[in-house]
Amino acid sequence: MQQEVVLALLAKEPSHGYQLRARLRQALGPLGDAMNDGQVYVTLTRLEKAGLVASEQAAGLPDRPDRKMYALTAAGQQRVAGWLAEVSWPRPDLAEFHLKLIAAAAAGLADPIAIVDAQRRELLRRLRDAQRAAMAEPDRSAAGLLLEGIVLRLQADLRWLEACERNWTGPRSES
Amino acid sequence: MGKILLASRLAARDLRHRPAQAVLLLLAITAAMTVLTLGLALHGVTSQPYQQTRAATNGPDVVAQLPVLHQPGRQPQPPPQATALIHAPGVTGHSGPYPLVGALVRAGKLTAGAEAEGRQESPAAVDQPKLTAGTWVRPGGVVLERTFAEALGVGVGDRITLNGRPFTVAGTAVTAANPPYPNLCYSSGGGCSAGPQDASATDVGLLWLTEPDADSLATPANPVASYILNLKLGNPATAQAFANRYGNSNNPAAPSLASWQGIAAADGLLVTDEQQVLSPGAWLAGLLALATVAVLAGGRMAERTRRVGLLKAVGGTPGLVTVVLLAENLVVALVAAAAALAVGWLAAPLITSPGAALVGTPGAPSLTPSIAGLVVTVALAVALAASLVPAIRAARTSTVGALANAARTPPRRAALIAISARLPVPLLLGLRLVARRPRRALLSAASTAVTATGIVAVLAFHATAGQERFGGSSGLRNPVAIRDEQMLFVLTAVLLALAVLNAIVTTWATVLDARQSSALARALGATPRQLTVGVSAAQLLPALPGALLGIPLGIGLFAAANGAGIVTIPPASWLLAAVLGTLVAMAGLTTIPARIGARRSVAEILQSETA
Amino acid sequence: MSATGNAPVLRARGLRKHYGKGETLVRAVDGVDLDVADGETVAVMGPSGCGKSTLLHLLGGLDRPTDGEAWLAGRRLDQMGERGLAQMRRSAVGFVFQAFHLMDELTAAENVELPALLAGRSPRAARQRALIMLEQVGLADRATFLPSALSGGQRQRVAIARALVSDPLVVLADEPTGNLDSQATLEVLRLFDSLHAGGHTLVIVTHDSRIAATADRLISMRDGAFVDETRLTGGTTGNFGALAELEG
Repeated sequence: MQQEVVLALLAKEPSHGYQLRARLRQALGPLGDAMNDGQVYVTLTRLEKAGLVASEQAAGLPDRPDRKMYALTAAGQQRVAGWLAEVSWPRPDLAEFHLKLIAAAAAGLADPIAIVDAQRRELLRRLRDAQRAAMAEPDRSAAGLLLEGIVLRLQADLRWLEACERNWTGPRSES
Repeated sequence: MGKILLASRLAARDLRHRPAQAVLLLLAITAAMTVLTLGLALHGVTSQPYQQTRAATNGPDVVAQLPVLHQPGRQPQPPPQATALIHAPGVTGHSGPYPLVGALVRAGKLTAGAEAEGRQESPAAVDQPKLTAGTWVRPGGVVLERTFAEALGVGVGDRITLNGRPFTVAGTAVTAANPPYPNLCYSSGGGCSAGPQDASATDVGLLWLTEPDADSLATPANPVASYILNLKLGNPATAQAFANRYGNSNNPAAPSLASWQGIAAADGLLVTDEQQVLSPGAWLAGLLALATVAVLAGGRMAERTRRVGLLKAVGGTPGLVTVVLLAENLVVALVAAAAALAVGWLAAPLITSPGAALVGTPGAPSLTPSIAGLVVTVALAVALAASLVPAIRAARTSTVGALANAARTPPRRAALIAISARLPVPLLLGLRLVARRPRRALLSAASTAVTATGIVAVLAFHATAGQERFGGSSGLRNPVAIRDEQMLFVLTAVLLALAVLNAIVTTWATVLDARQSSALARALGATPRQLTVGVSAAQLLPALPGALLGIPLGIGLFAAANGAGIVTIPPASWLLAAVLGTLVAMAGLTTIPARIGARRSVAEILQSETA
Repeated sequence: MSATGNAPVLRARGLRKHYGKGETLVRAVDGVDLDVADGETVAVMGPSGCGKSTLLHLLGGLDRPTDGEAWLAGRRLDQMGERGLAQMRRSAVGFVFQAFHLMDELTAAENVELPALLAGRSPRAARQRALIMLEQVGLADRATFLPSALSGGQRQRVAIARALVSDPLVVLADEPTGNLDSQATLEVLRLFDSLHAGGHTLVIVTHDSRIAATADRLISMRDGAFVDETRLTGGTTGNFGALAELEG
């Protein structure tokens, strides 16, 4: 589980461990079922150690990760802001990007559309270069075939980004 | 039941969708059926009016023309054969003998020969002519036979001179005892014995006056020519046998008898003449209308095939598809038949009143239920034929084929394409348009040929009739010719109207077919004017040979219709004018749909027609 | 208002195209401003129904705007009559359609020479020019083939040759690879690339990002208006290894 995702989910407001887990599951849908429950708590513990989140134990509740209250530290907030502004390279990981958009929208920290556009721009540039390289290769060269593969994957990513853009332009779904 | 309902709903929707096409089809079929109706109505007019006149005037079964018994020193008298005839077996009534004197009629500037029949002022028992205007004979007042009066252009109260003596026209009347002017001399067994020298024997009319007046007309130079005796038989059917037995037209000393059948036949000549004009004209009009219907039916075939494909794709059986196609056309045909019958009913009296000589106009009675039935049947048959081709196509093409391959790839004519590249742009476009639809071009040529044939035939008629002005000195027009001309005028008008319709329909179909390639041409830089001219050229290119072909065909048609008569070929200037006029009119007509088509938005057309 | 020395070849200000009225009003193009410089390739992308094809038709004179102004090489398009537009289409603008729109009964050469013939050139000059263009798109050996004997990619290349035959100021392409498979798309892609390298001005409407990637500038369009613009010139720093997941 990407650390930044968990951080971003805390950006809006502090929440309990189990709440975080629930939100992740909801955001991921069917893919969330495959998620290892414990993974979230491991990540949270790591983040605490790194000083990016702080935890509080509610009085009267056992000292377990799922019952603890977690909140972002200042360093953690910085990290989140940086993460949102950064463009994934070379290609966005599907789930991560998806969660990035959800988190950004929920926290109100960034416009999802802007994130999508930035990523798109980057991919287009890559596509252009890869295409150029592919066309520079002679016909039926092995390298050309590989480059063609890269181009097609980039194109697929771009299509998905267009879908994201369409989705996030409409009325936002509450997450 | 549900299927029928469905089919009718689909058909109704299609008709609503394309009202223009339905209306044009309606007009074409209506025109054709109207001509058919009129033709049939005329055919139905046999001796009906004659019978009416015969009844109204108590017409004779046999008319005997008796030679005069000249006795020196005494008045001319009817011969003893008169008495013999009156008392012959089978004779139940008679009137006359009436004296017949030749008279030269002068009315205004016109002169004509006439037979003047002396009558009593009181009504006769047999053959009392029925007045159509004015009053019966009186001293100084004559009654003219109606057609004769029309030809002379005189009416009640006009003054005329007979052999120089002044008389007043007291009235006009019709009779069943003689064929109307100018067929007076045509009844077999009759014939004109009278007639002053300076009028041709055929150009003779009939008038009645008092016996004293008739006697006063007789001079030693122009004595009483004969006596007329009207006979009524107990069995009118034996009139011809009676006439044969007692008459001999070859011996001037013997009476010559005419039966009422013979007179009726001569009377019918006028109607036959009309038929001679109406028949070929009707054929032409019918052909033209059929050509128009064919264009309409064949047009948009691709689109129709696609619609059929759609129907089949959503589960319509070939049967349903056929029914839908049929239903559309049948509805139109039925409405057209009804309209045609209505028009025919209104127009028939104008055409079938033969020579205005006989009492009564046929009017409604001539439109018998059998005629109506025949017209409806023919209309339905036309509709059937028009739907048959698409229906057969629909049954034969596979559904996929119908949907995907909706438009046939136009044939490639490399030679024409190469030639067209050298022509100016409008002709380039026009020639390529023609090359895409060769069958339509052929149809267009045929339609123009038919139109031109009709026009040239009319011109030939005029040229020939111009020579045939008989009674040259009298200046009278042959009312047969007048009637023929009227009929020709009507026919020509109908023919021209059909030609206009045909031209519009063909252009409209061409423009529609060429929509895609025209839009593309415009997208590539053809101006709307170039396209309009191109489409017009596409119409004119096949029309030219058609128009030229019409010249020999038209003359031939007239010759065939005229029978053994002499045919005068119209002057070259007339023919040239006819051909040019047809072409110019066609060009003008095609401009309008072409212009409309050329102004639509290009993008719209190209987008809508992409597969 | 271009800052560079060259005036823009194509220019639009406040271009609008509306259909219908009242409740059924459709704003196909809703206030578009555009400048295309000489030699530039501009790609317009957007979801279907966003009005990009309509925009192209307006720029090419195939349709009339409801409002706004458009200039081609300094001449006002929206004020030209049909005749002027037609003349402009045959000499200044080359159009490439998604459905190719070749005449089925003409050979490739005859199809390509058509705009030249319509412009009034002699048959020989037009034919010569057509053959040169076919050579340029790599189909010189198919000049006598009918469209039915050509593959999709080849047909579109013939259409492109046709668009080029009159040496137009700008080539407008409406979804040029919309009806093509990936192999044919590649052919057309190469062609556009070489055209761009040859200094032609192109405006391409597409939703294929591969085609869009050949452009200098990419404009995103939604609901009849431009919403984003990206400059694609200037390479990227990365190598492609990471893209092929060779690392990490």
